[in-house]
Amino acid sequence: MFDDKKDDIFLSRWVNGDLSPEELNEFQSHPEYEYYMKILAGADTLDLTEYDVDTALRNIKSNKQTSSNKTSKPVIKLWPYLAVAASIAIIFGLFLFNTNDSFATSYGEQLTVILPDGSEMILNAKSEASFDKNNWDANRNISLEGEAYFKVKKGSKFTVTTKNGDVSVLGTQFNVQSQASFFEAVCYEGKVSVTSKQENTILTAGKAYRNITNTPPEHWTFVAQEPSWITNTSSFRSVPLHYVFKELEDQYNISINIKNPDININTIYTGTFPNNDMNIALKTVFSTLGLQYQLLQNGKTVVVEN
Amino acid sequence: MSDSKNSTCDEQAFNQFFKSHAKLLRSYLYYKFGDLDQAEDIVQDSFIKLWNNCAKVPLDKAKSYVYTIATNLGISIARHQQVKFKHQKYITQRKSDVTNESPEFVMLEKEYMEKLKNAIADLPDRQREVFLLSRIDKKTYREIAELSNVSVKAIEKLMHKALVTLRKKIGNI
Repeated sequence: MFDDKKDDIFLSRWVNGDLSPEELNEFQSHPEYEYYMKILAGADTLDLTEYDVDTALRNIKSNKQTSSNKTSKPVIKLWPYLAVAASIAIIFGLFLFNTNDSFATSYGEQLTVILPDGSEMILNAKSEASFDKNNWDANRNISLEGEAYFKVKKGSKFTVTTKNGDVSVLGTQFNVQSQASFFEAVCYEGKVSVTSKQENTILTAGKAYRNITNTPPEHWTFVAQEPSWITNTSSFRSVPLHYVFKELEDQYNISINIKNPDININTIYTGTFPNNDMNIALKTVFSTLGLQYQLLQNGKTVVVEN
Repeated sequence: MSDSKNSTCDEQAFNQFFKSHAKLLRSYLYYKFGDLDQAEDIVQDSFIKLWNNCAKVPLDKAKSYVYTIATNLGISIARHQQVKFKHQKYITQRKSDVTNESPEFVMLEKEYMEKLKNAIADLPDRQREVFLLSRIDKKTYREIAELSNVSVKAIEKLMHKALVTLRKKIGNI
């Protein structure tokens, strides 16, 4: 009724006894008056349960001596717990979700790794591979640097990621070698797809692909059942000599110093050397090239002269 | 008056301050947030905070200090739990007003009072706050205006609105 009045504080003034006698008279003869009167009379009988001020004060006294935290509201208290819980969750998360498994071989080492699905990875010397074991079923993906031989169980796409390109397969055996500027994929069984920076190609069993920086990619065929290094032999087929030296260095942890600047390290080399006898290996490589070499006292350095 | 008398760190001054302000703060918080037990907890926490910070809060600033802290506490609690205004166990009736009535009239009054209390509980928060501070705590519009830092006029409008809202809710009993 009174909400349509211009005077929007009329009832407040009435409650306060601030109406003029005329206003009050007019209101009292209004049919709404008795209802408002009843509301006001009713409201005025209301009371709030007693407040024991002294007890409340005593409570404060006993509480303030100890600590205000004891009585503060849970909303506030929750924060430290939340913080602790969050930290624990984060630490847990770091352990739980950082499940990248990585394997590395040192000079002359080989390492056979059984992957979560039963596939096999054999790392050659001085190589490094890592993969996410928790996510393995959904994503068979391995990062590789160096050389490794894979025997892949049938299943979803299996990918080897290297800096130079990716090799992916469904179930097969293949070898991947990725060095600084050298990328080689050799397929022994089944079918693999190779994606290098230069091209995409499908390798079937007995086919191989190689890409050396600054030379055109090569394709060739072969008859071996598995890479020779598996049986402790390094073999090279038309490879620039410095990769052969690099392999000698990786297998035997030696460094090869070339004294004679006339030696062309890009000479193309085809041949093999054993990975388990350094002297035979050095002799094999250097004698076929007609080079003189000398193994220094420390057993670590080979000096090559003509 | 010495310096220590002006400080809330003075035990006497603190007690005095508590006794003269705690009750109204409790009512204010109850009307605002709807739960009397919770209001008493907030009163206690606010005054403990005042005591712990007494060196920083002079007596003449203490009132607005505890009201601000209490209101913020109430708001942060209200944000987590929606409280419907609770009146059943907290709002009572003054005994003297009902004793002399005939039983029949008391029955009717009881029914009416129940309806009135429910209508008050259903008022918009600000209207209920002003209406109850005025009716139960017998505060003047000016005093109520000072509590929530608004103009007297605003309080008068809220009071007027509260009565109109109640009148509509209760109907013609």
